[in-house]
Amino acid sequence: MSPRALLAEVLLRILHPVLLLASLWILLRGHNDPGGGFVGGLLAVAASAAMALTLTTAEARQRLPLPPPRLTALGVLIALLSGLPGVFAGQPFLTHLWVTVPLAVTELPLSTVMLFDLGVYLAVWGAVGGYCLSLLATVEEEQ
Amino acid sequence: MSAATAGSPAMHATAPSALPLALVPASLFVLLVCNLIVVPLPWSVSWPWIPALDVHFALYVDGLSAQFLLLITGIGTLVAVYGAGYLAGDARRWRVFTLLLLFMLAMIGAVSSDHLLLLFVFWELTSVLSFLLVGFDHARESSRKAAQQALLITGTGGLFLLAGIILLAEIGGSYSLRQLIAAAPAMADDARLPAALTLLFLGAFSKSAQFPFHFWLPNAMAAPTPVSAYLHSATLVKLGIYLLARLDAAFSDLLFWEYSLVGIGTLTAVLAAVQTVRERDLKRILAWSTVATLGTLTMLVGLPGHGAALAVAALFFAHALYKAPLFFVAGNLDHGAGTRDIDRLTGMRRHLPWTAAAALLAALSMAGLPLSFGFVAKDAMTLAKVEAGVFALVSHATLFVGSVSVAVAAVAAIHIFWGRDNVGRDAHPHEAPVTMLLPPLLLVALAVLFGLQPTLVDPLLGAAAQAMAPGFDPLQVDLSYDAWPVAEASLATFGFGLLIYLGWDRLRALLDRARELDEIGPESWYWRKLKFVPKLAAWLTRRLQHGVLPGYLLTLAGAVTLALLAALLVGRPGLELPSAETLPLPVIGSALLIATGALAALLVRDHLVLLLVSGLVGYGSALLFLFTGAPDLAFTQFAVETVFVVVAATVLRRLRQLPPPLQVAVSEARWRPLALAVSIALGSVLSTLLLLAAALPFDPQLSDFFSAQSVPAAHGRNVVNVIIVDFRALDTLGEIAVVALALVAALPLLKLSRRRIS
Repeated sequence: MSPRALLAEVLLRILHPVLLLASLWILLRGHNDPGGGFVGGLLAVAASAAMALTLTTAEARQRLPLPPPRLTALGVLIALLSGLPGVFAGQPFLTHLWVTVPLAVTELPLSTVMLFDLGVYLAVWGAVGGYCLSLLATVEEEQ
Repeated sequence: MSAATAGSPAMHATAPSALPLALVPASLFVLLVCNLIVVPLPWSVSWPWIPALDVHFALYVDGLSAQFLLLITGIGTLVAVYGAGYLAGDARRWRVFTLLLLFMLAMIGAVSSDHLLLLFVFWELTSVLSFLLVGFDHARESSRKAAQQALLITGTGGLFLLAGIILLAEIGGSYSLRQLIAAAPAMADDARLPAALTLLFLGAFSKSAQFPFHFWLPNAMAAPTPVSAYLHSATLVKLGIYLLARLDAAFSDLLFWEYSLVGIGTLTAVLAAVQTVRERDLKRILAWSTVATLGTLTMLVGLPGHGAALAVAALFFAHALYKAPLFFVAGNLDHGAGTRDIDRLTGMRRHLPWTAAAALLAALSMAGLPLSFGFVAKDAMTLAKVEAGVFALVSHATLFVGSVSVAVAAVAAIHIFWGRDNVGRDAHPHEAPVTMLLPPLLLVALAVLFGLQPTLVDPLLGAAAQAMAPGFDPLQVDLSYDAWPVAEASLATFGFGLLIYLGWDRLRALLDRARELDEIGPESWYWRKLKFVPKLAAWLTRRLQHGVLPGYLLTLAGAVTLALLAALLVGRPGLELPSAETLPLPVIGSALLIATGALAALLVRDHLVLLLVSGLVGYGSALLFLFTGAPDLAFTQFAVETVFVVVAATVLRRLRQLPPPLQVAVSEARWRPLALAVSIALGSVLSTLLLLAAALPFDPQLSDFFSAQSVPAAHGRNVVNVIIVDFRALDTLGEIAVVALALVAALPLLKLSRRRIS
C-alpha cells in the first residue's frame, strides 16, 4: 500500500497476537456463552486481513501457522477425527465424549466437542483467510 | 500397446516383478475350491446395509455363481501371472494390477449378490474399472475414445438396468433375486413385466455387447492384452449373460423372453461372425468371435428346456478355457514378433514353439474337435437345439457362426504358426518368457483333460444348470453323448469352416466392398450423436456462461423470483397476514438502519460508497439479530461484514487505479431497466412470503427440545453452539468441507487474475 502508515503498522504488530488470543478465547468460551469456532475463526481472519492491509499479504501469510490450504485441510481433518472416539465407544459417528480432569482446586471438563470446534476454527481461518489474502494479493502493488 | 516397446531393457533387470500379486487371486481360488468341496451349495449370508430401505448386503452362491467365481478367481490368477510377464519393467504395471484386483473383487461381488441393488452397485463398479483399464494407455487418442465409448455404452445400459430392477422389484415386491424367482409365476400376468424385462435386456445387452451395442467390445481391445483376456473375454462381458441366466429360472416360460433373447442373440452372433472375417488384427478377430459367442450364449439362455441350461453352462466354461489362451497367444505374438497383423504373421512355430502348442490346443477346443472340451460344449448345444425345436433360420445361423469359429481357430493355429516362414532378416521373433507361457498352456491342458474326462466337470456344470432350470436333475448330466445329430452338425460346421478359412482373403475383399453399409450401422450412429454433445454443451455455455456479471445476477434473481412465486401460488390458500404488534424500539432502529442502507445503495453511483452503504444493511441485520435474542448470529454477522467490507473496499480502490482495459465493468446501462424490474419483483415476492410465513403459528417443538437437552445431553449452555458442534455436528462437518472446497476452487482463479493484473 503506497504511503506507509507507520503508526498503524506498529500498533498492529502488537495487536495481532492479542487479536489471535481473543479469537482463541472466543473459540473456547463458545460452549456456554456467545462464541465458538465460526466466530473465533472469523476474528482470526480479521486479524490476518488487518495484517495484510497495513503491512503486506506476504507478512500476513507468514504469520499463519500453516499455508492456508493445509490449515483448512487440517481443520476439516481434526473435525472428522473428533467424531471417531464416539464410534469406538459404540455410539454413532460424531457423538461427543466428555471426561472430567480433576485439578487441585477445581476440575477441568474436556471433550471431543472442543476438538470439533477447533477443527471448525482452523477450517474457517484457513479457508476464509486464505481467500482474503489471495484476493488482496491480486491487487497488491509490486514491491 | 506393446510391453516390448514400453519398458526399456535396463528396467527389466532391476524393477521388482508384480508376480507376487498373483497370490491374491490364487489364494481366493484355493479358498473357493476348498469351500466348494467341504460346504454344500448354496451358501447364503446377509448383513443389514440400509435396513430402512430394505437394502441388505445379501450374498447367495449357487451352482451358477460358483461356476463364475471359479472362472473369475482361476482365470484371474493366470491373468495376473501372465500380466507380470507382459508388463515386466513397465512403470505402469502397479496401476494395471491395482485396477485388475479391484475389478476382480467387483466381479466376485456382482455374481454373488442376491440383492438386486447390491448387484447393480458391483455392476457399475465393473463398468468404471473397465473404463480405467481400456483407457490405460491414455496418451493415445484411440484408447481414450475406446474407453469413453465403453463407459458411455455400458454406463447408459447400467441406467436402464437400474430402471428395470426398480420396476421388477415393484412388480415382484422384493429386491431379492431368490424371492423374485419364487414370485415369478404370479408376475407373469402383470402388464408392466414386458417393460421391466426390456429395460433389463438393454442393461444386459449393453454389458454383454449384444446388438445394437456390440461395437464397443472390439474397440475395447485398446486395453493391454492381459486385461482384454480377463475383462473382455472371460468375465466382464459375461456379466450381462449371467444376469439373464440368473433370471432364466423365473421367465423362461414367457414367449417374450424366448423370442427376444433368441432373436437378438442370433442376430448378434451372425453380425459378429461376418465382422470377424473383415479384420486383420488377431486381437480384434478374437474380440469379434467373442461377441459371436456372447450372441450364441444369449440365444441359448432364451431357449427353453433343461438341455439349453446345460449348454449355457458348458459353453461358458469352454469359452473361458479356449478364448483366454488365444488372447494370451495374441499377446505373445505382439511381444515376440511385434505385430498382431495376421497378414504379416506366418510360420511362427519355429520362433515361438510353446506359444504354437498352446494356440493349436486352444484352437482344437474352439473348433469343437473331438478330444477337446469345446467338443463337449458343442454336443450340449446341438442337443439343446434339438430339444427346444428351434426355427430352421436360427439353426442355419448357428451353423454359420460355428463355421466362422472353426475358421478363426484355423487362422490362429494353422495360418499364423504353420504357414510359410517369411519373416524378414531384420525381425527377430522370440519366444515369450515362462510367465507368459504357463497360463495359456495350463488352460489348454485343462481343456484337453476335461475333453477326455467330461465327468470331472459334470457336478459343476450340473449345479450351474440347476440354478438356471430348477427342474434340472444334476445327477443326470452325461456329457459323453453319442447321438448322430451331433456328429452330423459337427461335420457340417467343420466343412464350412474349412471353406471359410481357405477363402478368407477373398471373403474379406468381398466384404470390404460392402463398406458403405457401415454408414447405417449403430456404430456410426453413436459417433454422430457423440459429436452432438459438445455442440449442445457449447450452445448452453454461450447462453448461460456469457461472462457478464450483472447478467448472472439477473438470471439468478429471476429464477429465484419465479420459484418463490410458484411456491406462493400453489401454496395453501389459508395463509394470512400477521396481526400488527408493537415492536421494541431497538428492533425498529435496526430495521431503519437496514432500510437506510438499502435506499442509499439505490442512489449512490460511486462503487466504493456503494460498498460502504451496503455494509449498513449488514450491520443493521447484525443489530437486529442482537436485539431479537440471537447474540451468536449477531457476533458472526459483525465479523463477516467487517472483513468483507474492508477487503472488498481495498480491492475496489485498487481496481479503479488500473488502466481502462483491465477495469471490470461492474454494471452496464443497458441492464438497468431489467434489473430494476427483477429486483422489485423479487423484493415484493420475498416480503409477501415472509409476512405470510410469520403469520403461521410457531411450532416450539424443536426449540423446546434443544433448550431442554442442551445442558443434560451436551453439557453446554449456549444452545446455538451446542446445535452447531454437537446435535448437528455432521451438518457442520459438511459445511466446513464446503468452505474448504470453495478455497480450493478460488485459489487458481485468484492466481490467474493476479497474473493478468500485474
